[in-house]
Amino acid sequence: MTDTAPGLPRLGTTLFSLTLEQRKPGRDLASLVGEIAARDLGPGLEMVAFQSLRGWPHPSEEQVREVRGVIESSGLTPSCLAINNDLGLYPGRLLSADESYEYVAVQVRGAAALGFPVTRVGVETSPATLERLLPLAEELGVKIGVEIHAPLTVDAPPVAALKEAFVRLDTPWLGFIPDMSASMRAVPEAVHDAHRAAGIAPELTALTERLWASPGLTADKFPELEARAAEAGATPPQIGNLKMLFTMHGRMDPDRWAEFFPHVVHVHGKFYGVFDGPDGASDPSIDWPAVARVLVEQGYTGFISSEYEAHAYSDRWNVFDQLRAQHDLLKRLLEAQPAVAR
Amino acid sequence: MGPLDDQVVREDSLTATPDGLDVAIYTHWYRALPLPSLAKVELTVDGERIDPQSLAVTVNGHRYAYAELAAKGDEYWFTTDPAVLHVPVETAPGREHRVQLLLGLSIPYILTGPDRVPLLAPSSTDKTLTAAGA
Repeated sequence: MTDTAPGLPRLGTTLFSLTLEQRKPGRDLASLVGEIAARDLGPGLEMVAFQSLRGWPHPSEEQVREVRGVIESSGLTPSCLAINNDLGLYPGRLLSADESYEYVAVQVRGAAALGFPVTRVGVETSPATLERLLPLAEELGVKIGVEIHAPLTVDAPPVAALKEAFVRLDTPWLGFIPDMSASMRAVPEAVHDAHRAAGIAPELTALTERLWASPGLTADKFPELEARAAEAGATPPQIGNLKMLFTMHGRMDPDRWAEFFPHVVHVHGKFYGVFDGPDGASDPSIDWPAVARVLVEQGYTGFISSEYEAHAYSDRWNVFDQLRAQHDLLKRLLEAQPAVAR
Repeated sequence: MGPLDDQVVREDSLTATPDGLDVAIYTHWYRALPLPSLAKVELTVDGERIDPQSLAVTVNGHRYAYAELAAKGDEYWFTTDPAVLHVPVETAPGREHRVQLLLGLSIPYILTGPDRVPLLAPSSTDKTLTAAGA
């Protein structure tokens, strides 16, 4: 596996990138993991437990052996297992604090059995639940990271509450997982494809994008979007799609990722496309030079999982070509950063 | 609103059985969801609206009445497996049916609004397909 130079963040891939590949005939976990390795898209390997592992959160002993075998024989390094806290499991109520703890704890144990050093949960996991999970994380040697995904930003109240808890607990076993969806500079072309396919007028997509890019908090822009889209004749499902543009793409300044350190346990290299241009390859939606600078300045040496998500909107691009292009871009940017004295 | 929407009902999804029409559906969500997440199954066959309470659903080899799914939080619908809707309409092998489905999946870890209600992720299908024999 090609690695970045020592002292830099390491690269990797999450199988979430292969969501469409997984559905193709003849595909199984071994073939997806094997292809990531064969294409040198490691060394880190992340997967979403509920996506890749049938029977999760209760894998059999035989399945655990089998999955460990697949990973070991690939030569990849398990980086993170994305798990879920399904608080809204049952209609009409949320899981209680005890149920939520148990729901996550069994998955942290599963991650340990599979050999993953980090798990990912969402912001619905409260600071109190995380604090209760801390002794288990410590005992198993598995970190628990809360993903900071659009529409969250560093200024969101739940993020501030988490940061307060992590500072107070002063532990390496709990932390954040920055996801680059929260700090985007442009709406991806793939979204335009999906809007066209959903019959949304290009002028409406353009209007939504102008509102998205205008100054101010995204949360405050929903009423204007809904009113103007309805006036232009958009159907309720189309308005839902337009609102998704606001929630899936955050506009935080990437420099502000620095404020999450030193509590960062893993990074999601979310992206929607790296394209060749006159100045070489670049990502129109995510400012990777800025992200690479912040991660190196902060002395981050964990994994960046390449997380291709354009598949949620379009199958126009080849996922393996995209992962290759992003890996090459990231390696070049990370290795070009001036060394930071530590 | 993406490529998986087109795979919710596939070309070979319809099967005629002595009890009615089986419709094999596949999830448009990227991860396995617990069975209560099958929150909305609005199905119309040949223009006739099907009462969800008249449906049975087979997942993981178990057959449930639709209303039973809401309590089956310990069972999951895997990403690459079908859930088969057993629909009480008359059919026969080789017969064509127009199948319109609005599938609304309740996403249990994405809570929205001040009341923290799970996101409902919809997917619409409108296909005319031929039923195979059982």
